[in-house]
Amino acid sequence: MGTIHLFRKSQRSFVGKLSQEFKLVAADRRSWKILLFGAINLLCTGFLLMWCSSTNSIALTAYTYLTIFDLFSLVTCLISYWVMVRKPSPVYSFGFERLEVLAVFASTVLAQLGALFILKESVERFLEQPEIHTGRLLVGTFVALTFNLFTMLSVRNKPFAYVSEAATTSWLQEHVADLSRSLCGIIPGLSSIFLPRMNPFVLIDLAGAFALCITYMLIEINNYFAVDTASAIAIALMTVGTMYPMSVYSGKVLLQTTPPHVIGQLDKLIREVSTLDGVLEVRNEHFWTLGFGSLAGSVHVRIRRDANEQMVLAHVTNRLYTLVSTLTVQIFKDDWMRPALISGPVAANMLNLPDHHIISMPPLKGDELNPLTSTPAKPSTAPPEFSFNTPGKNMTPVILLNTQTRPYGLGINHGSTPYNSMFSQGFGAPGMGAAQGFRTGFTNIPSKYGTNSRGQPRP
Amino acid sequence: MEEKYSSHALAGGGSLGPVDVPSARFTKYIVLLCFTKFLKALGLFESYDLLKVVHIVQFIFILKLGSAFFMVLFQKPFSSGKTITKHQWIKIFKHAVAGCIISLLWFFGLTLCGPLRTLLLFEHSDIVVISLLNVLFTSSGGGPAKSKVESWSSLIMPFTTVIFFVVVLDFYVDSICSAKMEVSKSARYGSFLICISALLFGNFWTHPITDQLRAMNKPAHQESTEHVLSGGVVVSAIFFILSANILASPSKRGQKGTLVGYSPEGTPLYNFMGDALQHSSQSIPRFIKESLKQILEESDSRHIFYFLCLNLVFTFVELFYGVLTNSLGLISDGFHMLFDCSALVMGLFAALMSRWKATRIFSYGYGRIEILSGFINGLFLMVIAFFLFVESVARLIDPPELDTYMLAPVSVGGLIVNLIGVCAFSHAHGHVHGASQGGYHSHDHSHSHHGHSHGHNHSHSDHGHSHSHGHSHGSSGGGMNANMRGVFLHILADTLGSIGVIVSTILIEQFGWFFADPLCSLFIAVLIFLSVIPLIKDACQVLLLRLPPENEKEINIALEKIQKIEGLISYRDPHFWRHSASVVAGTIHIQVMSDVLEQRIVQQVTGVLKDAGVNNLTVQVEKEAYFQHMSGLSTGFHDVLAMTKQMESMKYYKDGTYIM
Repeated sequence: MGTIHLFRKSQRSFVGKLSQEFKLVAADRRSWKILLFGAINLLCTGFLLMWCSSTNSIALTAYTYLTIFDLFSLVTCLISYWVMVRKPSPVYSFGFERLEVLAVFASTVLAQLGALFILKESVERFLEQPEIHTGRLLVGTFVALTFNLFTMLSVRNKPFAYVSEAATTSWLQEHVADLSRSLCGIIPGLSSIFLPRMNPFVLIDLAGAFALCITYMLIEINNYFAVDTASAIAIALMTVGTMYPMSVYSGKVLLQTTPPHVIGQLDKLIREVSTLDGVLEVRNEHFWTLGFGSLAGSVHVRIRRDANEQMVLAHVTNRLYTLVSTLTVQIFKDDWMRPALISGPVAANMLNLPDHHIISMPPLKGDELNPLTSTPAKPSTAPPEFSFNTPGKNMTPVILLNTQTRPYGLGINHGSTPYNSMFSQGFGAPGMGAAQGFRTGFTNIPSKYGTNSRGQPRP
Repeated sequence: MEEKYSSHALAGGGSLGPVDVPSARFTKYIVLLCFTKFLKALGLFESYDLLKVVHIVQFIFILKLGSAFFMVLFQKPFSSGKTITKHQWIKIFKHAVAGCIISLLWFFGLTLCGPLRTLLLFEHSDIVVISLLNVLFTSSGGGPAKSKVESWSSLIMPFTTVIFFVVVLDFYVDSICSAKMEVSKSARYGSFLICISALLFGNFWTHPITDQLRAMNKPAHQESTEHVLSGGVVVSAIFFILSANILASPSKRGQKGTLVGYSPEGTPLYNFMGDALQHSSQSIPRFIKESLKQILEESDSRHIFYFLCLNLVFTFVELFYGVLTNSLGLISDGFHMLFDCSALVMGLFAALMSRWKATRIFSYGYGRIEILSGFINGLFLMVIAFFLFVESVARLIDPPELDTYMLAPVSVGGLIVNLIGVCAFSHAHGHVHGASQGGYHSHDHSHSHHGHSHGHNHSHSDHGHSHSHGHSHGSSGGGMNANMRGVFLHILADTLGSIGVIVSTILIEQFGWFFADPLCSLFIAVLIFLSVIPLIKDACQVLLLRLPPENEKEINIALEKIQKIEGLISYRDPHFWRHSASVVAGTIHIQVMSDVLEQRIVQQVTGVLKDAGVNNLTVQVEKEAYFQHMSGLSTGFHDVLAMTKQMESMKYYKDGTYIM
């Protein structure tokens, strides 16, 4: 079949690439530890599977799957090291941060699918309960428990630590928290041990080991074999309960959704942006998490026809940049094709304070200027970028733009001074201070935006 | 004794009036409660003795009669209070019947397991009832509980004590205490006290000390071992007290709703359990109806749904015969089909959800769910293949005898069902066979945009969807999204399984090769594994935001074209990715010369990239002024340095034409 053929072709190159990338990761010292753990894990899993078949216990098998999940989490950890090393390629333009998320998602989903298979097997076993040999049951339990706890606590697994912190508490955690809260109500001294959020992996390891111990006891005392199946179901359900919130969280990252916890902050920023001068509307906001934590986004901002696109762009970017690291803002005007507006003064209107002394453009309606109500309709000075190439076009829009006068210049004077001084320090450092044209632009910004930003501290 | 009770009852009746009791008198009520519970336990022990001589029905009749007599006397339900409406009468009747049944069971239990255990168990449930149904009782008024049965009086002394202790007094004191103290508090104390007193009585009932209490009972009892305490009872009593304590303490939270979080406006949000329950219970039939309607609305979900039904029917048939014949191939095939059904259910949900409108959180729409579901389906198939592999290897080492009876017909049936599925799905999505045979490139091409000519016409996005569709359709000519691919692969794997079973049956019947069955399973496992790899790979690529391979060439050409736009200096950060089957999103930053109009550039770039298949585009047009503004706005030295570098990258910077 064709699919198989083409798959083999891609597989060979994939293996080659894999070994190459593996060498890259292996260069890191930290990954040696993980590889060591992985090797021990494989050994341990092998033994456990052997004991599983010798005891014929499905509960132990379910518990062994947790060990296999540990192996996946170690692989995820390796991947996160690899991701740190790799740079974005042209094809994967966002970098490989998401691979971490995908690995977490895949391993949690695989754990749940394994649990699903356990459930299926247990249903089969309920029909016909085989005999369980307790010989290696307890040994296997403690080997797996020790190893799981050792791995969980000694390997710093960044992606899983993040997800287990960020995801909603699992069903198991909730119950343990409930139980421990009421326990602490009776014995307050225990609150320091039980009240903080339990690590879900440690919790499920302990709970599974507990279930297995009960199984062992009941089988030893009563030869009650069905308890093995029951505890397998319990372990499987607990596994699903533990993994489900994590896979939901990482799945939501993969679905490019806005994380709920930043929505409040984002709303605040977008409200701030929409109150910027010249901004009419913010739409098509797409914000989503790239990897764990870093936010990417794009937004369309509709602005007034006479507003300065670059200025608005800079301010919008500046506001959102605090939260969204990979940001694209599309500025967008209605009816920009109208002949009256194909010209520079659109931008020039923003820059209307008296210190545009460099530009030698004769003010058209200079007598109407009022420095306190700096209307957008004053093409007295064009910004430097327009003064040379399109001088004549400054005149056309005046009539039209005059109608959109807005009184917003009240904060002009106190706003400009700190900004100006700050700018000359900051900008002077890389040796750009000579460009006076810039300053003409900057001195005006705070006057316009300072009034609108409602006490937002200037950077 | 009589005087005491009546005085207590009267005191209780008196304080049922206006409430002006200071809170410092809590202890008084607790003492009262303590005393009542003690007496109640006493009454129950007495009634246990009584039940030995009186039949349970008679006992309950007399008990109810007596309690009702006193209740009517004290409460005067017919003369005072509001008149009871017809509706309320029906409720009262129902309540009375239920109450009779409960008390019948209660006393029957009393005869069976003795007073101590009954107390422990029944009081435990009492707390749950009180804390949960408190609202219900208060809303239906005090009437029903009081006018349960008609009035009459009894003459026998023990009956009087039992009636007073167990019903009347307990009712009044409970109502007083729950009115004066919190309900949960009184319930907690009550259960605690009644457990303790039950334990005490259990210990001392046969003791000579209690002879005075028992002296008023006419029936005599001989056995002395029936009230002996065992260790288990003590332990369970302690646990009952503890659990009652725990249950009663957080009950306040359940009534008032739990704090979930804060809304964006800053108002606290509560979660009311009752509301949610009511809501779900009301709308379940409507929900099913509406979701069915939604399912049948579109071809994708309709196909999945019909096939799901067919599959479910067949799966049970197959499982049944598989268990009968003990064939690994058949049972695993049956269970695999059952699991397929879960995969189909997931595919169905994904197909449904992918049509939901975009929300705040899912800002691009839900289309990507199909890809995620395809990915999960792929993982699922891999796990299936893995287990099948392991099991068949185990069976290969130790091949079991199996019965081929009914094997062939069932597997042929399975094959037919699966072939129907394969035909339906491949018919709905034209080029599946072409895709699976035509090598990698055409394979990739085939699953680009089809399935959305009908599905996403009503899509949320306000960019010109139709434009991009018209274009992409010309090049790709049909295919399916990841979700449908996953479902299709499942069905294909099933078909393979059926074929494998048929082949192994033939081999076993003709040649007696019992290793053929595991061998076939092995082969099928490998086939499933191999066929699922491309699906997983593609889904991974989409989930990792790769440049869509089917648009890669066009996008590269488009980027070259963009380079040549007049007035454009350079571009940076070009990100293009496939969000879902219908949405290819992109963002790009473009640096232009100062004298060109941004909007024109945006229009040109958007046009070029739309032709390349990108239909959700954000273009950031930057001029030099932007970097100047940014460096002005940014505080840190490093930011300024980075911005300066950006500016230097603009080649017109150096000749100084635009900068003074």
